[in-house]
Amino acid sequence: MRLVLSKRENSSRWMSLLSPLIAVALTIASGAVLFAAMGLDPAKALAIYFLSPISDTWALQELAVKATPLVLISVGLSLCYLSNNWNIGAEGQFVMGAIFGGGIAIATHGVANGPWVFPAMMLAGMIGGAALAMIPAMLKTRLSVNEILTSLMLVYIAELLLDWLVRGPWRDPKGFNFPQSVMFEAEAQTIRLTSDGRINIGTLIALVVVVLAAFLLSRMLKGFEIRLVGEAPRAARFAGFSQSRLTWTVFAISGALAGLAGIIEVGGTMGQLQPTISPGYGFTAIIVAFLGRLNPIGCLIAGVFLAITFIGGENAQIALRLPLDVTRVFQGLLLFFVLACDAFLIYRVRLVRSAPQERSA
Amino acid sequence: MNINRRQVLGGATALAGAATLGQPVFAQSNPLQVGFIYVGPVGDFGWSTMHDLGRKRLEEVMGAAVKTTVVESVAANDMERVATQLGRQGHRLIFTTSFSFFQPTMRVAPTLPNVFFESATGTQTAANVSLYNARFYEGRYVQGVIAARKSKSKTIGYIAAFPVPEVIHAINTVMRGAWSVDPAMKIRVIWVNAWFNPGREADAARALIDQGCDVICQHTDSPAPLQLANERGVFGFGQASDMTRFAPKAHLTSSVNSWGDYYVERAKAVIAGTWKPGDVWGGLNSGMFKLAPFTNMTPEEASEAQRIADAISTGRLHPFDGPIVRADGSTVVPAGGRLTDDQIRAQNYFYRGIEVALPS
Repeated sequence: MRLVLSKRENSSRWMSLLSPLIAVALTIASGAVLFAAMGLDPAKALAIYFLSPISDTWALQELAVKATPLVLISVGLSLCYLSNNWNIGAEGQFVMGAIFGGGIAIATHGVANGPWVFPAMMLAGMIGGAALAMIPAMLKTRLSVNEILTSLMLVYIAELLLDWLVRGPWRDPKGFNFPQSVMFEAEAQTIRLTSDGRINIGTLIALVVVVLAAFLLSRMLKGFEIRLVGEAPRAARFAGFSQSRLTWTVFAISGALAGLAGIIEVGGTMGQLQPTISPGYGFTAIIVAFLGRLNPIGCLIAGVFLAITFIGGENAQIALRLPLDVTRVFQGLLLFFVLACDAFLIYRVRLVRSAPQERSA
Repeated sequence: MNINRRQVLGGATALAGAATLGQPVFAQSNPLQVGFIYVGPVGDFGWSTMHDLGRKRLEEVMGAAVKTTVVESVAANDMERVATQLGRQGHRLIFTTSFSFFQPTMRVAPTLPNVFFESATGTQTAANVSLYNARFYEGRYVQGVIAARKSKSKTIGYIAAFPVPEVIHAINTVMRGAWSVDPAMKIRVIWVNAWFNPGREADAARALIDQGCDVICQHTDSPAPLQLANERGVFGFGQASDMTRFAPKAHLTSSVNSWGDYYVERAKAVIAGTWKPGDVWGGLNSGMFKLAPFTNMTPEEASEAQRIADAISTGRLHPFDGPIVRADGSTVVPAGGRLTDDQIRAQNYFYRGIEVALPS
């Protein structure tokens, strides 16, 4: 006897809407058990987890700050993954964007330059991220090198480059030799939208990007090309689409978006370059992209959702004095249920009697 | 604000109020809420663990007068939000225990004027931001003296994290101590580019021992180098906590971080209303760090080490007294002078006689 997963012919439409809700319900149920076992009031704990990150305008702004890089990066990654281009190196492209954009902030430090500085930094960040992403694209299209490996390994190169820069040439001369750059001038910091919180222009940009990407995928020829190359490469070739040109395009777009996220993050939450500038946004965005089913609107929802669990976990540490590990276990449960429900949605599980003659081959 | 937070706070204050009834040690109706933000996990057995032990000590001493909260493994990007959240939940004293939190602390402090911040290392204070750190180099001097007594090959191996002044002046001071016993002492340094990476630290220790070093100093947090020293029959020093148990045959002494007394002092100051921003750099005499009991040493060696530690502690011996000459031959401070704290904190050169390249 064995279990076999076979793909469903067609999955029901309303089940696909229901599946995330079932996942959330299962998470809440198992979370309640987990919290009760730890001697906490499950209702209170769950409320802190899910409601405190959206409880007031300050919290909502923080949520936007946390979700913005995830959404920006995951939309770009979705375009890659839809077309069978496995860009795993968004973390490095994020860092490279911060380096390129941060370079402008450091070069213009100490002199008043006017309001062009931050837009120029964003442009440079996009160029930096895209430039790094072009390397695996080039290796893939020219030399058929596996892009999963090359894009991943470039992450470490970007991180070490940043590390070297902030310990060496870009080190703040007045910073007691600590590995950090100067603080960016006000004009080189990400433009904020309110005076009472940290929400910045990056959130608006992310929303625009989501809308543009959704439009691209559903209404434009390029979007059709991306989906066709991913789903039926042979058909795409017959249709006259160039697979390698598309590889270049999607790597460039996703690299540019990751780089943009990098400079927005550095200019917004840090205001300087440090050896580590990302709590793993580039890797978390891979999860976000798949949670969002490689759909830009889905990425927006998934990005906000994951940001809620991050901040909820933080708040649980503060309000409930839960250890970090428990908050991570809870987050893991959540992802597990979401993916499990999706698996049951797409696949059918059957119990098959083992047929010994199959083994003989 | 949502109902839940109010409920949580209400519950907490009611509980704490009930608890304080019995012991009116501090004239305070509510306990002082103290937040701790760690850069690593509580269980890193190094930097964050030792801050957490300090927190436990604070709870132990102050009892119901304080209530502490921990947020661990916080990235610098998230620091401002965590601090604000702590402030909004009623924490009035927050210890931010990493240099990478310093700039975020300076940004968030003006928005929470009723909260007192204590940043473990930093470059400036503010109306509600204090700095604190320990003069770990004092322990390095003692390590140098011990190493010179124990080494037969006359070569110390030093596993260094990053070329920041904290590490550079520690290497200089180890050699200062070693030369006070034997001017022929030499040092080899391997940069592992990590504060905590057991694999790389062990590799570095292996390489140093293979190159003839027979006393290993480490400026990294894991017990791996010490364990390797134990295996290979050479000596070593523990870092951050007492590491005797990891290397019963190799361990000489450890530099043990001990923040508890400082945390108690600062919490008491907040309760008494006497908290003021300060820049504390505590030496052996402050109790911010201690030397673990000397092991694997003869009684003479141990008493010499203790004598040196006492001399530093009482100020009779200063590791940064002149003359101090750079590797390039230029004199920083002539005989009779002494480096200022700012000069020590900015040290980015090796002394003459230390033939080590700075990675640049």
